[in-house]
Amino acid sequence: MGRFLAGRLALAVFVVLVVTLLVAWAIRLSGDPAVMLAEGSSSITEQDLKNIRAALGLDRPFAAQYAGFLTGMLTGDMGRSFMGGIPVAKMVAQALPLTLLLAFLSLAASLLISVPLGVQAAVHRGGWADQTIRIVSLIGLSFPNFWLAIMLVLVFSIALGWLPPSGADGLAGLIMPVTTMATILSATNVRLVRTAMLETLGAQFITVARSKGLSESLVLYKHALRNCAIPLITFIGLQFGGLIGGVVVVERVFNWPGMGSLAFDAVASRDYPVLQAVVTVLATMIVLVNLAVDVLYGLVDPRVRSE
Amino acid sequence: MRLRHMLSAAALAIAAMATPVLLPPARAAGTLTIAQVQDPNNWDPIATFLIPWGAVASNVFDGLVMRDEQLNLKPGLATSWESLDQGQRLRFKLRQGVTFHNGEPFNAEAVKFTMQRLLGPEGAKGPQQSNYTSIGAIEVIDADTVDIVLKRPDPVMISKLAGYGAMMVPPKYTAEKGSAEFGQHPIGTGPFRMTGYENKVSVTLEPNPAYFDGKPKLDKVIYRFIVEPNTQVAELQSGRIDIASNVPIALIPAITASPSLQLLSTTGPTVTVLRFNTANGPTKDERLRKAMIMAVDRETIAKQILQGHAKPVTSFQSTLSFGFDPAQKPVPFDPAGAKKLLAELKLPPGTLISLDFRSNDTTFREVAQAIAGYLTAAGLKTQVRPFEMNLFTNDIIPNGNTGEMFQMGWGGWTFDYDNTAYLMYHSGERWNPYDKDPALDAMLEAQRLIADRGARETALQKIANVVADHALELPLYNLDTYYGVNKRVKNLAVPPDNRFRLIGTSVD
Repeated sequence: MGRFLAGRLALAVFVVLVVTLLVAWAIRLSGDPAVMLAEGSSSITEQDLKNIRAALGLDRPFAAQYAGFLTGMLTGDMGRSFMGGIPVAKMVAQALPLTLLLAFLSLAASLLISVPLGVQAAVHRGGWADQTIRIVSLIGLSFPNFWLAIMLVLVFSIALGWLPPSGADGLAGLIMPVTTMATILSATNVRLVRTAMLETLGAQFITVARSKGLSESLVLYKHALRNCAIPLITFIGLQFGGLIGGVVVVERVFNWPGMGSLAFDAVASRDYPVLQAVVTVLATMIVLVNLAVDVLYGLVDPRVRSE
Repeated sequence: MRLRHMLSAAALAIAAMATPVLLPPARAAGTLTIAQVQDPNNWDPIATFLIPWGAVASNVFDGLVMRDEQLNLKPGLATSWESLDQGQRLRFKLRQGVTFHNGEPFNAEAVKFTMQRLLGPEGAKGPQQSNYTSIGAIEVIDADTVDIVLKRPDPVMISKLAGYGAMMVPPKYTAEKGSAEFGQHPIGTGPFRMTGYENKVSVTLEPNPAYFDGKPKLDKVIYRFIVEPNTQVAELQSGRIDIASNVPIALIPAITASPSLQLLSTTGPTVTVLRFNTANGPTKDERLRKAMIMAVDRETIAKQILQGHAKPVTSFQSTLSFGFDPAQKPVPFDPAGAKKLLAELKLPPGTLISLDFRSNDTTFREVAQAIAGYLTAAGLKTQVRPFEMNLFTNDIIPNGNTGEMFQMGWGGWTFDYDNTAYLMYHSGERWNPYDKDPALDAMLEAQRLIADRGARETALQKIANVVADHALELPLYNLDTYYGVNKRVKNLAVPPDNRFRLIGTSVD
C-alpha cells in the first residue's frame, strides 16, 4: 500500500508540474505585457519598455522566471499582479471560496435533482416517465450553459424582477448560477444514476430484500441506492475538473468574482502571475480529488493496489 | 450513520462559506450605484491610463487645473496661472486652506512632491510619465506659489495638468505607504473619499465634507465592476444600478422604451476611422484610397447603423478638438465616381481588400460589414477580419501586419489634435507603422513650437487637410458618449471625457 501511495503521489506532483510549465510557456505566447501597460502613453521608447519589463522581472530568462514562480508557490508567495501590483495570494483567497461555493452547491443541487429522477427512470424502465426523463436530459445536455444563463436572466431578472442578474451579493445571487450549473450537470447525472440503478436492481440481493417483504421505497433508497453509491462517487470525483471548467463560463455571465473571472481577466491583460497561480491552484485541486478517488479505490479493491 | 455525519458536516461547511454573501444588496436613499466596465486595479494616478480610472478617481483627486462639463479648462487646486520666460515657465497660485482626506495640508511642497514622483523612478514604471517629459524642474516660490519650469515650450502642458498623471497626492502618506499600498487606499483632495475597495467587485465613495467647492449631495457612491455590456443593461433594467456606462448600440431601444430609464448622451471624444496600409499592397496607390473613400456612404452608416448616435467626420478628431477645421469639406458619397476611378486603375483580377477590426466591438462589426458591402458594390472584393483586441492594438498594428484597412479609434485625451496627429502620422511612431512623409513630419514638429494659439490652430488645421489630400485614412464618425440612466438620478452632468464629477448629483 505504501509503494502504491508513493507512486500515485509522485504521479500527481509530476502532472501539476507539467501543467504549470505548460501554462507558464503558453501565456508568454500571448504577447508582451509591457507593451500593454504602456498602451496609453503618448510616446513610448524601447528603453521605456525595457524599464517596465525589468520592473516586472520579465528581463530574466524563462527558466529563472519559472523557477522563481515555483519556489514562490511552495512558500505561499504567489507574486504580485502585473495590473496594479495586488498580491496574487490575496486575489486567489478572495476568489477561491466563491468558486468552490458555486461548484459544491451546484453539485449538491444536481444530486438532489438527478438521484430521485434517475431512480424513477430505472424503476419504470421504458415507461412514459423514463422516456420523458430521457428526452428532458437530452435537451439539457444540448444546452450551452451560457445560453441557459442568459435565458434565466431574461425571465427572472428582467421580465419578473425576482432575482439579481449578476454579482455575488446575497443568497438570491446564487440561485441562477447554481440552477444553470445544476441543470447541465443533472442531464449527465440522471443517466448515470439510471444505468447504475438498473444494474443493481437486477442483483439477487434486491430480490431477497423484496421477498423479505420490505417496502419498495426501503428497497430502492436503502438497499439499491447504497450499492450504486460507489460508481456514482467515483464518477463525480472525475467530473470535478469539468465542473470547475463549467463554473468558469457561468461566472463570466453572472459577473461572479471567482477564479474563472480572475483567469478570464488575466488572459485578456497578459497578467502572467495571476493566470499561473489560478491554473496551478485549480489543477492541484483537480489532481488531488482524482488522487483521493484512486486511493479510495485502492483501499476498497486490493487488485488496484497490486497493479 | 457515518455518511449522514459527513453530509451534515459538508452542509455546515457550505453554510459557513455562504455567510459572507448572504448580505442583502444595499440600495439606500442617497446612494448612487454605477456600473463600470473595468477595474483599474490600482488607483495611483501615475500608474494608469484607463478611462474607468478617470470615471471613478476624478471624484477622489484634483489637479492644479481641471475641466468643466464642456471640457473648458478651469482653476482646480490652482486659482490662477501665468506664463513667464516666453512660455518656458508656468507660475501657479495655489488655493489656500485645502487639505487632503487624511488631513495633510495641500501646498507648494505637495505640488513639488507630486510632480517629482511622476517624473522620477516611480513614475518611470507607469505609463503617465512620458506625457510630462517637457517638464524640467519644479520650483517652490512660497507656500502658495509654485513654478513649473519647462525644458522647451509645451503649449499643451496646461491641458496635460488636468490629466491623470498630474493629480495631486499627499507627500507624507504617499512616501510612507509606497505606490502599491497607495494604489489600494488612495487619498486625494477631491469631493469624495474612497472608503471601500474590493478588487474586481466594487468601490465605495463617501463625501468629503471639507471639499473646497462644497459638500456633495450624495451620501454614498458605489461603483460595481461589470464587464459584460448585456449584464450592465440587465442590472439597469432590474433597478439594481442607476447608471450603465457600457450600453451596446443594439440595446439602446430597450432603454428608451422603459418608463423609468433614460438615455443621456453627449458628443464623445472618440473618433473612429479606417486607416490604410499606405506602404504596400493595392492601397499604396493614393487613387485607390480616394476611390474607396468615395464609395462609402458615411451619413447613412451614422443614421441607420449607429441610430443617429454618431456624426460623420472629415478628419481624425471631434468638433471639440483644438485644431478642428469647420471649413474642411467631406469627400462626398459618389458610387458612380468611385466605380469610374476604379475602372481607370485596372487593378489585377482577384485583388482582395481586407478590413481588420477588433472582434469585441459589436457595434463596429456591423459598420465593417456595411463598408465591405459598399466597397463590393463599387467593384472591390472585400473581406472583414476580426482580431482579438489586445493582439490587434499591441502587436498587429504597431508591427504593420494589418490588411489593407484597419479600424482605429482614438480619444485624444488632451482634446488637442496634436496628440492624435503626431502619434498617427509622424514617422516612426508606434501607431504609424506604414507612412513616412518628411514634409508632414516637419509640419507636425513645427506646430509644437508655436506659442501663439491662433497660429498653432491654423497649423493643425493645415495638417488635417494634408492628411485628407493624401487620403491616409477613411474618416468615419465621432461616436457619442452615452449612458443608460435611471430617472431617479438628478443633476447628472454627462462629461464627454467620462470623468464624472458627482458634486451636484442627487438621487430621489
